[in-house]
Amino acid sequence: MDQISRLIDIVGNAGVLSHPVLGDTYSLDDRLILHNAPSLSVKPRNVDEVQKIILWANETQTPIVPISSGEPHFHGDTLPSVPEAVMIDLSSMNRILKINRRNRLALIEPGVTYSQLLPALKDEGLRVVMPLLPRGNKSVLTSLLEREPVMFPRYQWNLSEPLRSLEIVWGNGDKFYSGSGTFRGEKDEDWELGLVPVTGPGPGQLDFYKLVSAAQGSMGIVTWASVKCEVYSELHKLFFAPSERLEPLIDFMYRLLRFRFGEELFIMNRTCLAYLLASEPDKIATLNNTLPPWIAVVGISGGQLLPDERIEAQEKDIQDLARKFGLEMRPSIEGCRGDDLLEQIHRPSAEPFWKLRYKGGSQEIFFLTTLDKTPGFITTINSTAAEHQYPISDIGIYLQPVHQGVGCHCEFILPFDRKDQAEVMRAEALFRDASHRLFEQKAYFSRPYGIWADMIYNADPMTTTVSKKIKGIFDPNHVMNPGKLCF
Amino acid sequence: MALEDFAAEMDRCSQCSYCKWIPYDQVKSWRFSKNCPSIAYHNFNSYSARGRYAVARSLINGQSGYSDAVREIVFTCLTCGSCDVSCKVCRYNLEPLEMVRELKTRLVDDGQCLPEHQAIINSLNKESNTMGSPRSERGRWADELDLPHLPQDSAEVLFHAGCRFSYDKELQKSARTAVSTLRKAGVNIGILAEHEMCCGGRIYSMGYRDEFTRLAKANIAAWAKAGVKLVVTSCSDCYHAFKRLYPKLGSQIKVFHTVEYIDLLIQEGRLKFQHEIPLSVTFHDPCHLGRQGEPYIPWEGAEKKIKGQIVVYEPQKPRYNGAWGIYDAPRNVLKHLPGVELVEMERIREYSWCCGAGGGVREAYPEFSQWTAMERLTEARSTGAGALVTACPWCERNFLDALKTTGNTMKVYDIVDLVQEAL
Amino acid sequence: MTLPKHVYKILEDIVGARNISDDLAVLDSYRYSLAHTAIHLGPYYNTFTPRGAAVLLPGSTEEVQAIVKLCNQFKIKFKASSTFWSAQGYPSEDNTIQLDMRRMDNILEIDEKNMFAVIEPGVIGATLQAEAMKVGLNAHIPGSGCSCSILATATSYFGSGPSNLYGGWNYENLLGAEWVMPTGDIFKIGSLGSDCGWFCGEGPGPSMKGIARGFLGAKGAMGVFTKCAIKLFAWPGPKTLPVEGTVPAYRSVLPENFKAYTVAFPSWKAWADAVHMIWDTGIGYLAHRQFNMFGRDLKYAMVKILTDPTKTLGDLEELLKDPEVQKVTQDSMRDFQIVLVGMTPRDIAWQEKGFDEILAQTGGWKVEAMNTPEIRNWALLYLIRLGHKNLNLVFGGSYDGCFGLLGAVDFGTTHVEEAGMFKRDWEMHGAIVQAGGDCTMGPIGGQGGGGTGLWENFTCFDPSDQESVAGTLEFFDAATRYGLEKGWGVGMEKWNSQNRGPDGKTTPKEERDRIHLAAPQPNVFRYQNKVREIFNPNNLGDAYYETLDV
Repeated sequence: MDQISRLIDIVGNAGVLSHPVLGDTYSLDDRLILHNAPSLSVKPRNVDEVQKIILWANETQTPIVPISSGEPHFHGDTLPSVPEAVMIDLSSMNRILKINRRNRLALIEPGVTYSQLLPALKDEGLRVVMPLLPRGNKSVLTSLLEREPVMFPRYQWNLSEPLRSLEIVWGNGDKFYSGSGTFRGEKDEDWELGLVPVTGPGPGQLDFYKLVSAAQGSMGIVTWASVKCEVYSELHKLFFAPSERLEPLIDFMYRLLRFRFGEELFIMNRTCLAYLLASEPDKIATLNNTLPPWIAVVGISGGQLLPDERIEAQEKDIQDLARKFGLEMRPSIEGCRGDDLLEQIHRPSAEPFWKLRYKGGSQEIFFLTTLDKTPGFITTINSTAAEHQYPISDIGIYLQPVHQGVGCHCEFILPFDRKDQAEVMRAEALFRDASHRLFEQKAYFSRPYGIWADMIYNADPMTTTVSKKIKGIFDPNHVMNPGKLCF
Repeated sequence: MALEDFAAEMDRCSQCSYCKWIPYDQVKSWRFSKNCPSIAYHNFNSYSARGRYAVARSLINGQSGYSDAVREIVFTCLTCGSCDVSCKVCRYNLEPLEMVRELKTRLVDDGQCLPEHQAIINSLNKESNTMGSPRSERGRWADELDLPHLPQDSAEVLFHAGCRFSYDKELQKSARTAVSTLRKAGVNIGILAEHEMCCGGRIYSMGYRDEFTRLAKANIAAWAKAGVKLVVTSCSDCYHAFKRLYPKLGSQIKVFHTVEYIDLLIQEGRLKFQHEIPLSVTFHDPCHLGRQGEPYIPWEGAEKKIKGQIVVYEPQKPRYNGAWGIYDAPRNVLKHLPGVELVEMERIREYSWCCGAGGGVREAYPEFSQWTAMERLTEARSTGAGALVTACPWCERNFLDALKTTGNTMKVYDIVDLVQEAL
Repeated sequence: MTLPKHVYKILEDIVGARNISDDLAVLDSYRYSLAHTAIHLGPYYNTFTPRGAAVLLPGSTEEVQAIVKLCNQFKIKFKASSTFWSAQGYPSEDNTIQLDMRRMDNILEIDEKNMFAVIEPGVIGATLQAEAMKVGLNAHIPGSGCSCSILATATSYFGSGPSNLYGGWNYENLLGAEWVMPTGDIFKIGSLGSDCGWFCGEGPGPSMKGIARGFLGAKGAMGVFTKCAIKLFAWPGPKTLPVEGTVPAYRSVLPENFKAYTVAFPSWKAWADAVHMIWDTGIGYLAHRQFNMFGRDLKYAMVKILTDPTKTLGDLEELLKDPEVQKVTQDSMRDFQIVLVGMTPRDIAWQEKGFDEILAQTGGWKVEAMNTPEIRNWALLYLIRLGHKNLNLVFGGSYDGCFGLLGAVDFGTTHVEEAGMFKRDWEMHGAIVQAGGDCTMGPIGGQGGGGTGLWENFTCFDPSDQESVAGTLEFFDAATRYGLEKGWGVGMEKWNSQNRGPDGKTTPKEERDRIHLAAPQPNVFRYQNKVREIFNPNNLGDAYYETLDV
């Protein structure tokens, strides 16, 4: 029986697509990452079908590449690295299975997007800590699995938060529940009894959900997740602390992180904020002229208990702290009102995706470090950009403290015009060169997409060895997205 | 008690390792957090109170036998009692210090003696002192003081110099100072001079119980014969022996440490200080004055259980946990000395670090003993104080010897020396 | 078998003659009684873990690596422990080399800005906390107390404690780590592996920290962790804890931004509601049901003893007759302790207000008798330093926890009373302390931000009394059966039965297999077996790392 027939048997006629098109790339991934066109795309409807597909892939030694989010895709993890791969499109597994206010859990399938989840949570008095302006069709589960940084460091007691229990189909076809996922929460009485999937680690002495995190689909497919939510508050404010220099903002941010004040906490340069605010490219230049060079964004929430008192206390305390560093917390800055930005960042990005609005293409360099080291990395990207004649004023800089301030996601956004070959080549050269220099400077590429994978795995042979051995357990036939990471 | 009488405790030991650290509430730094010199130096679990419980159990159950290691484990215990204090922060039915004393006694009874300790016993047998010096010279330290010599002369208050003060020429001045100070305050005080015998405290802590009993009884008899009502001593080891060990053998003599007496005299206005001493000092609490200097409470009873399995005692057993040791008297005295500024170390009072001299360790394990002293001196220096003050000649001697090997110039004083300077 | 002389000699050359011993008495001080505390099996009278082949005190990672490589060469099992409290850190087989990690006790670094410390295995909670406080930081201390190794709780066991909800449990606080794997290879986990520092334990890519530990660690059965970075959190208090009082009734008068309360509720539902509201609101620095470990009937009387230096256990019966004590005991039946810490005066004011509101909405109250200055300040010091956990054993010298009811607090509160009453009936048999049945202790929040609870029902007994030990075992067997009948799963009293058996050695394979096959997901142990096969090919650990090969 041929491939297609076998797969039609599993997912039905409508679920199999021959010669799927990979879709436009708005980044440099197609240049940076050697890739191949997939042979097929299949759309499973449930975990049983996913499992059957994976078992079939093992049997036939067919490479498979899971994908959950809509286009455009970034980072290249869903570009097949080998020929004749079959895409597993999980986007139609998009049920929100349960939202439970008491335990603040949402149970979701991989196709659930932020656009879908946020309003559903709000109806239940909840919200989820989210990354900065994800695409509306971005899979929530994928975002969390890939350890995308969230805007709310205070809730990240560990880097995987708010991801909790998972249902995983490993690359060997085994269906498995990590954390307390065996408590599926399918029965209402289980919720009343407290038999709920609230735990992330384990079970036992392996941390299964860590093994699929940032794995780019190379270990298995997650078909269900419980996600920890926070309380939604009607009373929520956003403030700006503008500065001519980055350093006072870093000191201020450290203080906020130490005290665990504030909800949304991040720092941007004017360019990044301009990209975020501008609905059209020609507004960016204006914003760049009016916005301060550096901005710390601080959100405050009233929560659900005595919200006015809470907001008042936090607002005054944070203002006092700001002043200690020669800063002022303002509800607006020229070019932007806090309320407006708050509304914006509590939703996915409007179309077009905010990073693409300036030039239609964008490549990011991001890594983890500590906040105090970021000025050094900024110097490096700037000097490298200058060498490559890339306009420094185009570089968007986003500094996102993570894990309650122990680390910092440092991101450089490099827009380029996809239609201008010279710009594309310049951006690519900058990306490659800067990536290497930043790596030499000890930038930690914890999510090693594309060329970063070679860099980091070559520098860390033990992690490479261990990772390969673990891969050999959970995906012994190497069918799961081969060619990614060190696999 | 026999070692076997501690069998239940050997099982009931929490195995928590609290005995290796000062009470955790009092920990102020990583550097000065340990309390037990023997495990701090040797590191094997066996060298702690919990380890010695386990070793004792192994021995009495015949699971192991005597060896060089066992002898070292047992005899490197300084019997400083810090493990006892830390254990009893939480436990009410364990007596680790008593157990380790019993363990030492067992080894001695079984002939597992160290030659260095045997030399002390020989000296005691021959000359009634631990220093290997002639008994006839015992009272020479007080030659120029014209003190009443008991029992020929009479005095209600006896000053017991102790072996160290009697024969250590460098330290004798402090004994002279103590006696002179008390006399100046109007205390009618005498000495036994060459009739004075070792208190036996040191050999008790080495495990020589019979020899101790012999000495103690002799001392009790001598005091009775001399009509002594109160014994004062500047040696904390002697103080502990007289106050805590002798009553078990029938002594009813009141006991003061010199520093207690001086504190009392200050409160009564009988000592007035004229001279300023511009000096910052830190005070080392001697084990036998501090945590082991608590009042003696006689008790005879047995274990019983309440609420099923709670181990208590009938009648209620007195609790020696360092709570009521002599800590405030020396501090009060120092506070009254004009110009003296007291700066405390991190490990003080009931959780003070031992000087390293006790339990026969100084004699048998000099390197370990000196290390212990150096550790304390390091702590003293860390306070920024100009001098370390104490109230025991054994502590003082051990500190001075340690300073000599390092060439360090920190000053070490007996508290009475500062008192005299201020008078 | 003792170690062959030539092997002993090589080990001696590695660590130095002073740091190795095979003296029988020394080795016996490295054995753990299975009539003892929190072993989660048995208890078994007069049964000990096997005597080791030798005990070593390594002083560096290089020494540990050399030892482990030698063990691989000669196929000798090894087991490391830092503080040797709990049978989990002891060998399960004869001829195992024991590593005492005490000498590796350095705090290598405290990064004040980024709030983490780098530590060796011998660093205990008390000393790390003391050093962290000097720079305005605090360390999460496990429920077993500040005498325990922070590295061990983070890498090798559990790591849950009273400050979970604010500080995170040490599973969450584990950052980069250095691991001498069972083969002797050194694995630097996370950012450390690519020389990017200690700050991140995840990645690169799929996080191989996931094989170092899961919900639980390997309990010393898979190599030796020699360094780790641990995340810290804010301490807005004095650089040193100001301690006053007479031992053991130490107390600490802290500034006004520190508050300690014991609160109680009219029903378990109200208790659970309050806990959820605390989590939702994000207040609380530390919250634990701590003093209930003495037992519902005894806890307040015990607090009176512990806060009075003139009192002992012998005063307990008299205190229990006191009407005032009886009233408070009744009043605090469904209680827990909470410490509120404000980073600023406004912060503590808001937290207090919010907490009062939670009490108002749930019908809870502050137990006033626990809020007198002396008791409050004692409780504050107790909870923050957690230096009195030897009190777990105060009554007779041993305890273990039964039931557990691990999960959402709605689960625990639904069943805690029933479990307690079951135990109370058994208390009357005489083998265990009669404490009122409900002797549950556990964190208000099993992880950062809350979410779960654990209800360890303290069962206190006398390890030197054969009848008490036998009676406790009988009770635990009955508790296991009861819990299974009720659908609560296997309780804490049996959590290690699949590791070690009544003879002190590894549980027979058939029994281990039976237990693992009955688990909700036997594949958990099959995967662990594969990991063990790959990373510990000579099988030099023990069954505390649980595997299934059928």
